Amino acid sequence: MHRAFEVTNRSGTLLLGAGLSKRFRHVAALDAVDITLETGDAVALLGPNGAGKTTLLRILAGVSAPSAGRLDHNEAHRTPVGWVPQQPAVYRKLSARENLRLFCALEGDNAPDALTEDLLDRADLRRFADQPAGELSTGTLQRLNLAIALAGRPAALLLDEPTATLSPDQVHRLWRWLDELRRDDGLAVLFSTQSVDEAARHGERMIVLNHGRAAFAGTAAELVAQHGRAGVSEVDAAETAFLSLVGAAA
Amino acid sequence: MKAALHLLRKDLKLLLRGRGLLVMLIGYPLIVAALVTVALQSGERRPSIAFVNLDTSNRTVRVGDRRLGVKDYEERLAADVDLKHLSPDAARAALDDGRVSAVLTLPAGFISDLQSGIRSPTIGLEVSRRSPIEAQSISRRLESAVAKLNQELAGTYVAQTLDLVRIIVDGGEVAAFTREGNVLGLKRSEQIVRQLQQILTRQGQRALATRMDPLLNFIVEAGVNLELARDAATAISQPIALKVPDPPSGREPLSAFGFAGALLVSLALVGVLLGAASLAAEREDNTLVRLRRGLIRPEALVGEKVSFAALVSLAIGLILLVIVAVATSVTVGRWALWLPTLLLAGLAFAGFGVLIGALARETRTGLLAALMLALPLIFLGLFTESAAASTISEFFAFGPAFRAFQTLLVEPSLVARDIWLRFGQLALLAAVFTGAAAVVLRRRTEV
Repeated sequence: MHRAFEVTNRSGTLLLGAGLSKRFRHVAALDAVDITLETGDAVALLGPNGAGKTTLLRILAGVSAPSAGRLDHNEAHRTPVGWVPQQPAVYRKLSARENLRLFCALEGDNAPDALTEDLLDRADLRRFADQPAGELSTGTLQRLNLAIALAGRPAALLLDEPTATLSPDQVHRLWRWLDELRRDDGLAVLFSTQSVDEAARHGERMIVLNHGRAAFAGTAAELVAQHGRAGVSEVDAAETAFLSLVGAAA
Repeated sequence: MKAALHLLRKDLKLLLRGRGLLVMLIGYPLIVAALVTVALQSGERRPSIAFVNLDTSNRTVRVGDRRLGVKDYEERLAADVDLKHLSPDAARAALDDGRVSAVLTLPAGFISDLQSGIRSPTIGLEVSRRSPIEAQSISRRLESAVAKLNQELAGTYVAQTLDLVRIIVDGGEVAAFTREGNVLGLKRSEQIVRQLQQILTRQGQRALATRMDPLLNFIVEAGVNLELARDAATAISQPIALKVPDPPSGREPLSAFGFAGALLVSLALVGVLLGAASLAAEREDNTLVRLRRGLIRPEALVGEKVSFAALVSLAIGLILLVIVAVATSVTVGRWALWLPTLLLAGLAFAGFGVLIGALARETRTGLLAALMLALPLIFLGLFTESAAASTISEFFAFGPAFRAFQTLLVEPSLVARDIWLRFGQLALLAAVFTGAAAVVLRRRTEV
């Protein structure tokens, strides 16, 4: 039986996935997951390795087709989602500017040059604009990766473990920008992470995936309330609840 | 379409930016062309052969009005091979060491056997086992040299025989086949017999004169038949004559074959490797997932990659043709036909490469697979002597492309049907490979 997790109820549904499943030969990577993403949402996909986070994001991004289930996009948005894969998807021999210019043109933007310059500023890439992408540092490359995802002027961003390889200062910088995008542009953000702290800090709500199934949906406080243990400090409460939920607490 | 053009511009920009790759793309075909030329020239080099002369008699044989000795035969053989005078032991050692490719032994009594007219002298040939292909070539070359000598001798003997026939008919001094002296001749014999018959008739011995009629008939018939033998002997001396017309200037088959081969190897490798690498690189840069999210259809993406590799292949082909036209004796014309030939061949090569690129998961694998598949298939395209190789090469672009290149370079006149057939074959192969690559790409990117 499928459960529908209403992530939020703000105006405008951007994505609606129902009973999304994915099988690789005989292995079920994702098993009947429902998800709704609405304008301005900040949703964390939390789960251990192999839980199905990337598979779900790839299906929502249109990179992978579900084996079963239904996925609807809001037709009011020409580009409903921007995809930020974990491994940056950029042409490493092109400069940051050339990458952005190319993807703006490929997205069919009427003024690709203007959008490119705007994105260079917003991603704080101006200093690295003419440097080959392959020579950029990990954090800068991730910002370029994110900026390219914005070239289609999407209504939502899907990020696959965007901070997995970043240093703390780079993580801080990236989230500051993502928060700005949510606040100023009303972008919805759906990100996967293995960090309970990151999910609790940056996700208004979270979906916990375990063995391809949605094991929980709600806020961090609800996670602690439903799966937490007594006597655990406030700092460790969410983490303990998460570990209890995915069966690794012992 | 717009997306494909954006990507095509990106690929060309990256190609031009990679100076090392650009130099390699232009330099590599030139190096291949030079290597093929050197290889062909070395194939034509005179083999080094040990010459062992066991006939130390210094005798000569009279052939016609000349006297021939071992030295004359040696000079004739030296026109085809590089002879080194060695003793039997030294020749054997040189053959074992690989310093000579074969040992040619002139037996003792070679000239006297030739002189006898009864025994045919036998020349011994032992070839190196180190290089079977060269050994085969040397055997053929010396067979040809000996055949030429035999033919020359036969011609001289026939001329001598015909001279003898003339003397038998007309009478005169004879000095042939070790015989010398004065011959009466059939014509004078006929005159003498007729004079005798007239004298006997005048003396009233008509019956006796009539008894000489069969002798007269024999002399007349013999004369007529010997005249017929003259033509027959000429035909016997050279039963089949081989006429080899000189090739038109600039269309020498060997140099044209070499250039067509170099062109095939160069363009095929450029088309296949660039096609495979350009698509595999999209996967390796992880940009394929972005592109396939609705930015471009798989058919258009494959079409873009095929067009990119084919355009580069065409440009390199034209550069090579211009260099050959300017710097060598090979005639390069028919530019209106070269353009579609290079373009269609490039599309077919690139289609094959992109198909490999679609199957490969990373650039290195794609390049390696492309190289491993392309090389033997190019080889089959170049050397289609067996029916199986010829059939296989027809299913890939390498065979048809090579034959089209050769036709344009070698054939003085063109058959329109053949050229159109090649164009059709290349276009069909390009379409099949491109279509297959699009199907594979659609399946393997999972959208």
